[in-house]
Formats: sequence, structure tokens, C-alpha cells
Amino acid sequence: MLEWPASVQPLFIGGTLLWSGGLKCLGRSARRSAERSALPSLVGEGRALFAYRLTGALELALAAVLLLPPAYAAEAVAAVVLGVGFLGYLTYAKVAAPDSSCGCLSKRRTPVTWRSFARAGLVTAAALLGTQADAWWAGGLGAGTAVLLVAEVAALLALSPEADGLWLLPLRRLRIRMRHPLADRSFEMPLESSLQQLLASPAYRQVSPLLRSGLRETWDEEDTRILCYTAEYEGTAATAVFAVPLRHYLPEEVRVALVDESSESTLLVGV
Amino acid sequence: MPSTDRRRFLSSAVLGGTAVAGATALGSLAPETAFAAPRIDLDPGARDPNFAEGRITAISGSLLKVSGSDKALHRVYVTHGTSVWKLRPTTFDEIKVGDGLYARGVKMPDGALAADAVWVNIVNLDAAITAIDSGRLHLDHHGNKVVGHVVTGTTAAVYNHTPAISDLSGLQVGKHVKVIGAWRPDTNEVDIATVYAGI
Repeated sequence: MLEWPASVQPLFIGGTLLWSGGLKCLGRSARRSAERSALPSLVGEGRALFAYRLTGALELALAAVLLLPPAYAAEAVAAVVLGVGFLGYLTYAKVAAPDSSCGCLSKRRTPVTWRSFARAGLVTAAALLGTQADAWWAGGLGAGTAVLLVAEVAALLALSPEADGLWLLPLRRLRIRMRHPLADRSFEMPLESSLQQLLASPAYRQVSPLLRSGLRETWDEEDTRILCYTAEYEGTAATAVFAVPLRHYLPEEVRVALVDESSESTLLVGV
Repeated sequence: MPSTDRRRFLSSAVLGGTAVAGATALGSLAPETAFAAPRIDLDPGARDPNFAEGRITAISGSLLKVSGSDKALHRVYVTHGTSVWKLRPTTFDEIKVGDGLYARGVKMPDGALAADAVWVNIVNLDAAITAIDSGRLHLDHHGNKVVGHVVTGTTAAVYNHTPAISDLSGLQVGKHVKVIGAWRPDTNEVDIATVYAGI
């Protein structure tokens, strides 16, 4: 019963191992990936890169014997052992070095999450199924097995954060193009806009050397937004009051007054 | 002065209608003014005496006790002339124990900092947008997930250095953005003040 799905599992596992082993051995950023992984805390800083490359070499060797004839049951068993070992490594990484990256299938930094476990579980389950195979995978190829392989590869990609750029982000982009959840048609004037206008105004340039604080207080007065700062004017503390046009971008119309709040007197009116 | 009267007074001062009492030209050009300015002697590599940063460990009256990220202990006075930023310009009573803080001011003889300006929980993130749903941006900040909350009436977007607007519909999944916001202490969440993006 399990023969036909089992027979193509070496192809699936072999392909996956080629991808991950090739990246570990030949990837240009292997050193960085090794340093970011949980390996430094497992085997020590100095041996992390060696352990990373050794794992990659083992994966490539196993991929070669899985993909090439003849088929031995021991190959699939070795893949099961590797899969279980990798699940153990992920558990270790999650517990001992939660900030590390899994460093598995790409140079991208991807923290260990439930998806990493699900993916390792998928590969291990495929390897377990593969132990039931009794002949080389090329003999078992057909329409049914092709559908199964495509489904397995799709599941592998869906569980790989590294592949999100291929399908997940375009899907989200499409959804947002149809209806953007953050569209705001209120035309409310954000404070940042008034601040940009203030900083470009001659009035601000005139008194900016006197300002001591950041923006202290702001409110709207019909078509004007009032912005208050603390200033120092001739040795006394004062409040710099700016009036910025609310709905128009007219920096040259920004007005300023320096006010002594304790005596309720206006010390200076700018431009 | 009640706050509405005070605001009316300040508005009328700048919008006209009040006589200017004793207005002089801006500042003095006399050289003694320049020599009277406080001198700042800073050795290279020395700590800037007029700046403090860290987490607030206690608040008593208008005094903030702050534990710096380099373990330095600061005392920061907030006066009625101090500006307080926490997502938006706000007041002293919005500051809570556990908040992060940057303060700029003048060092007083007792070693405390009299703050001119205080920024609470302010963060500046360069991140990629991984998802957008109603009210939230999901961000990837160097491999770490950060949730950015959109605050209606406060959050603004600046596209390609043009004037800020409240419409965030120019934001796209997969694009890089710069976010200025207020961190929610001990979480991976920020409330967004301004998001800078390209279109």
C-alpha cells in the first residue's frame, strides 16, 4: 500500500538536502550564517563554521546516495536519524539560544519558530515513509507520485520563511492593492505636517537660537495651529508662540511672539 | 491662569491684538553677551553633562530617577518649561516608571539635570513591512518582528520627503520604511508617530 508514495520520498528528501547542504558548503555567507546560528553556543565559537560545513557535507553525501541508484533501506533510515537530530538541534536552539537564526535553508536571518519545527517534521515524516521503499525512485515515477511530490514541495516552501518573498508577500501585496486597510480619507492635518512647515519658516529661523525646549504644547485656533516652545530671551524664560497656517503650506506666513507668561506680557513679535 | 484663558492669551499674542511691552531688537550684539554665555568644556570622549538616557526607576514629585543603559544613575528635573514627548507633545503625568527616556537640559550644581526637553520611549526603526492589517503594520527589523500600531489622529506618513499626511494607503508590503514612534516598554510593539516611505 505504502510502496508507491514511499518510492519517491528519496527524491524529495535528496532534493531538500541538496538545497540545504549546498548552501552550507558553497554559500558565500556560510561564515555569517554559522555565527548567527545556535552552533557557537553548542560547539564553541571557533568550531561553529567547521560544524556548519561538516553538517552541509553530510547532507550532500546523504543526498547523493539517496538520489543515485541503487536504493538501500539504510539510506532512508539515515535520513530519519538526520531529521530527528535536526529536530533536537532546533529544540536546543529554541531553549538555549532563542535569538539565534536557524541557518538552515538560506543566508537570510530567520529565527526559529513553529514553522522551522513543522518543516523539520515534514522532512522527518517523509524519511520515515521512505524507509518503506523497496526500489529506486525513478521506477516509481508517475502521475500520482508527481502530484504527491508537488504537494510536498509546496508544503516545504509554505513552511520556509526564506520562500515568503516568492508567494506570501506578493499575495499580501495583491490583497492591499484591492483594499488598503489603512486608507484614511479624513484629511486631518497631522502635527508632523505643521512641524515641517514651521521648520521651513523665516519666523522659526529668526528665533530658533533662543529656543530651549522641544514642542511643548499645541492646539488649533480656526485656520491656524498654535505651537509653543520654551525660549530664553535676554536672560529670562519666555514662551515662544508660533502660529502656523493649518490647511495651506505657506511657511512665510508663520508668525511668532515671545511671551512672558508670569507677567502676561508680550516681549517680542517676530516678522 | 486657567488653561483656556492661558491659551487665549498666548494665541492673541501671536495672532495680534496685544501691545508689545518693552519690545527690543532681537538679542544684543554687544561682545560681552557672547563672553557671558556659559562655557562648555568637554574632553574628547567625556560624557555630555547636559544629556541623560535610560529607564525610569522612580518618580518623586517632578524628579525622575533614571538608570542609564551604561549603568550611570541620573536625576532629571522636569519643570513647567520642559517639553515632554511621548508619541506626541504631552504632559509630565503621562510619564510612567519603566519608560525609557532621553533628556536634554542643563546640569545643575547638585549634579541633577534640569531638563529642557524629554523624549519618552522614542524609537527610530529602519524596517521592512511584512504585512498590513487594520490598525497595524507588521515590521521586520533585522530579523526581529515588530508590531507598529497606527494611532488615529496622530500617526502621519511622509512619502518621498513631501508634506506629512494622515493617509497611510501609500505603504506597501515588502517595502522599507523608517518609523519614528513610542515603544511600549518590554514588548516588541510601538505606537507610530511618523512613518517615512518611498512610493
